[in-house]
Amino acid sequence: MESLAIVREFLRERLSVPSERVHLSAALADLGVDSLMLLELMFEFEERHGSPLPRDIKTPKTVGELIEVVDGLSGR
Amino acid sequence: MKRRRVVVTGIGLVSPFGGDALDFFGRLLAAESAVRFFESPDVPRPLAIPAVRCDGFDVDGVLGRALAGTMDRFSQLGAGAALAAWRDAGFATDDRSEKTDCGVAWGTALGGTLAYERGYRELWLNHRPRISPLSVVLGMNNAAAAHIAILFGLANACLSYTVACASSAVAIGEAFRRIRAGEATVMLAGGSDAPHAYGVVRAWEALRVLAPGDADNAPRACRPFDSGRSGLVLGEGGGAIVLEERDHALARGATIHAELAGYGSTCDHTHLVRPEMRGQLRAIAQAMQDAGLARDEVDYINAHGTATREGDPTEIAAIREYFGGRARHIAVSGTKSMHGHLLGAAGVVEAIVTVLALRRGVVPPTAWLENVDPDCSGVRHVAGSAERVPALRAALSNSFAFGGSNAVLAFRTH
Repeated sequence: MESLAIVREFLRERLSVPSERVHLSAALADLGVDSLMLLELMFEFEERHGSPLPRDIKTPKTVGELIEVVDGLSGR
Repeated sequence: MKRRRVVVTGIGLVSPFGGDALDFFGRLLAAESAVRFFESPDVPRPLAIPAVRCDGFDVDGVLGRALAGTMDRFSQLGAGAALAAWRDAGFATDDRSEKTDCGVAWGTALGGTLAYERGYRELWLNHRPRISPLSVVLGMNNAAAAHIAILFGLANACLSYTVACASSAVAIGEAFRRIRAGEATVMLAGGSDAPHAYGVVRAWEALRVLAPGDADNAPRACRPFDSGRSGLVLGEGGGAIVLEERDHALARGATIHAELAGYGSTCDHTHLVRPEMRGQLRAIAQAMQDAGLARDEVDYINAHGTATREGDPTEIAAIREYFGGRARHIAVSGTKSMHGHLLGAAGVVEAIVTVLALRRGVVPPTAWLENVDPDCSGVRHVAGSAERVPALRAALSNSFAFGGSNAVLAFRTH
């Protein structure tokens, strides 16, 4: 599944956020994603890709930044 | 200086019957048992015990799915109870503004044991390499208290007490002292537990104190003070009461359910599980003195009454010893016969029962009590059906824990 779709599904499931609000420039905080939930989201991607994110990544502020980080996992 | 007095202005619980606190109390008056036969989905050896569960608790509906997803079951039960109590006290449940004179005191015996057990299953059974990053905040023992503080902006002390079966009675007692000492005006106090973790139930079974039962007789499994009693029934649940400084409650025109007048807290310091009459006696005496109550003012005692062989006679002996000739006139009931043993939530749920009994002038029975064990005689057992006690003046709620910790709460009508 494409990364944006994964984020959308996660936020719809957990916070009932409508998918159209989840776009690349949307701020994660505005969508209700706090530091704990960001950890959960990153965990979700690590699970799907079967490999851990590096420990020294910069904390993403937007959906786009998050996807940039996690797509690094799959080498895309 | 005038001593500050503390009153109960809100009560709430998550009921195994599905309704609110008044519905719960009404069912106890009707001697209705919430105990059912419970079989877990575990393979190949499911749990198969009489148990009390809150299956009707609509977690997502009450808390919202986003919040509920960040909570272990014990926090969900706690937050549900706290919401009901806060609303009952007449406070806005959507007001998160900072309240520096309001705090939380919470009891739990097991905390987030279920969350940790889920982690073990993932790691050891499902061979997953890691577990959810929420595991720590789901499992920590003060999670329920912290969630409750966040929900209502309670910025005074936020404390959690783990004192086995007396946890929430201790939480209420310590919150009471905090208000009386002038350190807080309002305390949301209570407790919650979710004890049906696989390892937890197996541990209790190994201790040989769980009442046996099957699908037919499970509702009658727990029979405190009966000569045929066979042990306790583990129940999940949550309860909360709002304690408030009396003048503050009067000034805002709050409904006052009862006055919490005294609290006794002692330790047997003799044995981990064998209760000691003298330690319980000291707790009763302390609560009575603290409340300034005379022996003949107490009309009802909600007993700890777990229906274990050793626990029941010891408690009745302590009551007889303290009250002397008066003991024969005091109505005593063990409501665990209907709502089970809620561990960390037991003290608060029984405190709520005690408060409602005072307020309504009617005492719920010990269900299934047919033959009072001679070792448990000497008090006026309310057996089988509820009893009207006109002009109830004061009542005690006893909580006696493994580890030898004893907590007694003394309530007065207001």
